[in-house]
Amino acid sequence: MQKVILQLIYSFFVRWFLKLIVGVRFNVAKFLINEKQFIIVANHNSHLDTLSLLASVPRQLIHKIKPVAAADHFGKTRLKEKLSNFFINTLLIQRSRDKSNPDNDPINKMLNAIDDGYSLILFPEGTRGSPEEDQPLKKGIGIILSQRPEIKFVPAYMKGMGKAMPKDDSLIVPFNSSLTYGEPTKVLSNDAAKIVEQIKIKFDQLKEKTF
Amino acid sequence: MKEFFHMKFFENNDLLIVVALIFGILTFASVLFFVIGKIKPKANLIELKARTKSWWVMALVFVAATIFNTKISYIAIAFLSFIAFRELYSLLDFRHSDRRAIFWALISIPVQYYLAFIGWYGAFIIFIPVVMFLILPLRLVIKGETDGIVASMSLLQWTLMLTVFGLSHMAYLLSLPEIEGFDSGGRGLLLFLVFLTEINDVMQFTWGKLFGKNKIIPKISPNKTWEGFIGGLISTTIIGYFLGFLTPLDTPQLLFVSFMIGFSGFVGDIVISSIKRDIGVKDTGNSIPGHGGVLDRIDSLSYTAPVFFHLIYYLVY
Repeated sequence: MQKVILQLIYSFFVRWFLKLIVGVRFNVAKFLINEKQFIIVANHNSHLDTLSLLASVPRQLIHKIKPVAAADHFGKTRLKEKLSNFFINTLLIQRSRDKSNPDNDPINKMLNAIDDGYSLILFPEGTRGSPEEDQPLKKGIGIILSQRPEIKFVPAYMKGMGKAMPKDDSLIVPFNSSLTYGEPTKVLSNDAAKIVEQIKIKFDQLKEKTF
Repeated sequence: MKEFFHMKFFENNDLLIVVALIFGILTFASVLFFVIGKIKPKANLIELKARTKSWWVMALVFVAATIFNTKISYIAIAFLSFIAFRELYSLLDFRHSDRRAIFWALISIPVQYYLAFIGWYGAFIIFIPVVMFLILPLRLVIKGETDGIVASMSLLQWTLMLTVFGLSHMAYLLSLPEIEGFDSGGRGLLLFLVFLTEINDVMQFTWGKLFGKNKIIPKISPNKTWEGFIGGLISTTIIGYFLGFLTPLDTPQLLFVSFMIGFSGFVGDIVISSIKRDIGVKDTGNSIPGHGGVLDRIDSLSYTAPVFFHLIYYLVY
């Protein structure tokens, strides 16, 4: 049920809304079909980021992809949590680690989702920040990939969406923006900090290619 | 279903002839470039082939939008305005605090096209130049961010004029009252305008490629030459003369109007070129999808549409 609804929402309505009205330029990432499991790592400027990524993944995969989101924002109330989990398929995590309670620890939660066979969408910048500005990457993604080195990461870079729907405003004003995917890549090291560096380099390369 | 398709379109031979002509020319061009490509594989036809391809797409969309019910034609032109407007303001440096004013400007698009649809000329002609001109600065003032507000006021109004007010004249052509003995009506005028504008672009390009020597404005468009400009003007005027059956004009009027389409098309082209040069996207052309997008296609139309409309309105209506 959820699968069909997600497909209908993202592969049809959201996809055409973003392309025709908002003006987001992207191709459907067909190459993802060949990957068994992956983590999409993207820069983060706007709520439109998650929508664009979900709209750009092939229809068949959509229910197996969980965008990782902050529990303090998307899980504020029980209702909001339920809605996010159903309509955005979110994996809600805390922003900081919780060593005392392993069930609540963000890293553990993400690792569990991976072990359950899910692919993830992760914004290693954390919060959306000021529109259209890159922020330093957090090292959580490094920790996860160092513990599951067989999983490939797929870099994605978005431009302009922070102008269409910035952090401090819920009004969408169409703006010509774009989403570009890089190739699925395996980590080169099992050191978390080095993995983050590798991702940063991929981001910068994509940024050059994104107009 | 019969209501949905605009049956008049099929009954009107004049329109059908021109549509057949358009597709004939495009087929000829495609075959020509294909054959040249086979005979001389070294010839650099990439640009010409790309142009022909986008002509095909545009011609199909345009004909589809006019064959169907008239309402769809209004919506299609309104959507074209929207895309062009969005593309232009996305390229220009608007401030974060201008978002609300831009949103209001976007709302004006359906209003303007609705006014064209109901054929309320007085409101149509003042809505953007007077009403929006007065309202948009107010919206910016309410926001209260004075740093750079003059630039935003000017840019927003100008962008709206070029992409919405100018292009909406194409839609109003469809609302002009019927004239006895002139069957093809607003559709004929719209077809005349679009066909002549585009043929003028092609002619200026072709004459320039064949005989171009003396640059006309090298700082803005290094490819534009006097030979292309004058050759284009003459060809456009002649072609316009032969397409006169789409308009209710007499011969001197027809020649003058066709000449003015050629001339204003050129002006629109170089104005958009200079904007792109200022923003710094000129040399990237179509290689970057989006930057060389709709704006490149409507550059001449944004000028020819109001010029043609007001000439017709003055001369005939």
